[in-house]
Amino acid sequence: MSDSKKSFIGHLADWLTWRRFIFSATLIFFLSSILFPFYWMVSSSFKSKAEIGGRTAVYVPSTLRLDAYKELFDPNNPSYQDFGRNIINTIKVSVPTAVIAVFLSVLGAYAIARLNFRGKEALLNSILLVYLFPGVLLIIPLFAMLARIGDAIGFNVQDNLGVLILTYLAQTLPVALYMLTNYFRTIPDEIEQAGLIDGCTRLEVIWRITLPLAIPALVSVSIYTFMIAWNEFLYALVFLNDHNMFTMPIKINTIFNDPSPRPNVVMAASTIMTIPIIALFLAMERFLEEGLTAGGVKG
Amino acid sequence: MDTSSSAVTPKWGTLRTREARLAWLLITPTAVIVFGLIIFPAIFSVWVSFHDVGLHNLNDVFHAPYIGFENYIKVFKDYAFKFQGMQSWGAAVTSVVYAFTSTILTMIIGLMAAILLNHPFRGRGLTRAVFLFPYVAPVVSIAFVWRWILDPRPSGVLNDLLMRLNMIDLPKAYLATRGLALVLVIIFQAWRYFPFAMLMILARLQAIDRTLYEAAEVDGANTTQKFWNITIPEIRYVLGAIFLLRLMWTFNKFDDVFLMTGGGFGTKVLPVLTYEFSFRLFDFGRGAATAMILLLILVIFMVFYVRTVMRNVEE
Repeated sequence: MSDSKKSFIGHLADWLTWRRFIFSATLIFFLSSILFPFYWMVSSSFKSKAEIGGRTAVYVPSTLRLDAYKELFDPNNPSYQDFGRNIINTIKVSVPTAVIAVFLSVLGAYAIARLNFRGKEALLNSILLVYLFPGVLLIIPLFAMLARIGDAIGFNVQDNLGVLILTYLAQTLPVALYMLTNYFRTIPDEIEQAGLIDGCTRLEVIWRITLPLAIPALVSVSIYTFMIAWNEFLYALVFLNDHNMFTMPIKINTIFNDPSPRPNVVMAASTIMTIPIIALFLAMERFLEEGLTAGGVKG
Repeated sequence: MDTSSSAVTPKWGTLRTREARLAWLLITPTAVIVFGLIIFPAIFSVWVSFHDVGLHNLNDVFHAPYIGFENYIKVFKDYAFKFQGMQSWGAAVTSVVYAFTSTILTMIIGLMAAILLNHPFRGRGLTRAVFLFPYVAPVVSIAFVWRWILDPRPSGVLNDLLMRLNMIDLPKAYLATRGLALVLVIIFQAWRYFPFAMLMILARLQAIDRTLYEAAEVDGANTTQKFWNITIPEIRYVLGAIFLLRLMWTFNKFDDVFLMTGGGFGTKVLPVLTYEFSFRLFDFGRGAATAMILLLILVIFMVFYVRTVMRNVEE
């Protein structure tokens, strides 16, 4: 026992030069400061009220208590939050946003990458201008404009998930278009020409040749738009008033601002909102990195 | 190739017009959404900033009365906007300080992380993925975790740690302390967005020609010299691009600050002020004016930056 311990320490001493020490220390510092908040979020969600409001911080909950989760999901709980509905609302917004964004940007990006038409560069540049406009600048005219149009056509701007999807599309389409255009340009034109010569129409070429080749980019665009819609806060905050229509971010904000603070419930809801995103990211990481640098999450 | 093109030639003209028509057809839905919901609103927002638009006339917004620069004057006179000495910076100065310092801090941390991950070690792939967590996780959850860590109650992590170390006797409300709150929001920004800088720098670092370092080693250069004379010049261009992008996005940032402090205690930046004018006071005209001032500051800076700094980088 002691022999193997000694040799381990001896081993360590051999290995540990100053450079390696600084390197490892920095790495540990980075990892712990990144991971601690996530640990704190998940562990706090399992704490009891006493552990949350005690005289000292509790770093490891005594047992895995589901008090916070019961408040979110159990209809018999006195302060039942009906969080399931918020999860569904978020999915109702983020899935259509991702699907429609991919569909529209495939069409648009293909046109820009492959076909020649007048005003192409001007169009692309003006679409990229979006980078410059702050969300708060656009939300005022959007709100006023959509309120006016809604009045005329007969839909409500407030508490309308369709309106939210539309605004998310506007925010994500430019980047999606940009990412896909770049990708389409890397696919050799000759493959498509061959398809055209074989008698396929353009749309058949897109469907049978280009799209299967562009699957990595399609995955990356759909996840990127899904994440934006899933996480978005400002537009949802302004456009949603009815608790039944709240998406998760707005609901969590509401629970946080409740007069009786319950950090364990906030953390439980945050955990539920974060886990799918982190899981999706880890599963799809290799598709995502290019997108993360190309477009950024715009924020 | 030759035979095929000659086969197409007789129909070339019609094919070309057909292609152009198809292109427009394909791009129209995207263009309509982007123009209708971004370009037009952006222009419309200039219009709103010169008109008296509030909840009372929201249904008839296109007939709102023209009031010239009144909205702008109101913003400039507002105590939340103007600089009134070191105790109360006002939103404009706070915004500029906030955007610059968090961008620079983000880049320093991102550079450190990139250099760290540029070394091969076991588990590098996973570490790199973990380093991206702050960037991909939802802002709402992240901001509230940080608020809970900085909680004013004794059960907050920071209070608990400092009290255990006997550095403070009583719990403090960090995010409700003027000055400190801004510093914490800036640190939060850097924590959340360094992965973006890291990814871009890392991609560039991995493209640097190894032989440059080998040649420097032969000449007897040490690590510091190699860093300043090879690494930094090689990544200068990408650093410039990151700086521009992050500065722009941070300057426009609403949710991070709003969720961390609600814009109180010396952290009221222009986007938060815009939100408050528009959706707390429901004075959309004044909100739009604030947003225009924000955009103007941004454009002036960008023109200056692209004209001077980027040009130097290219040379």
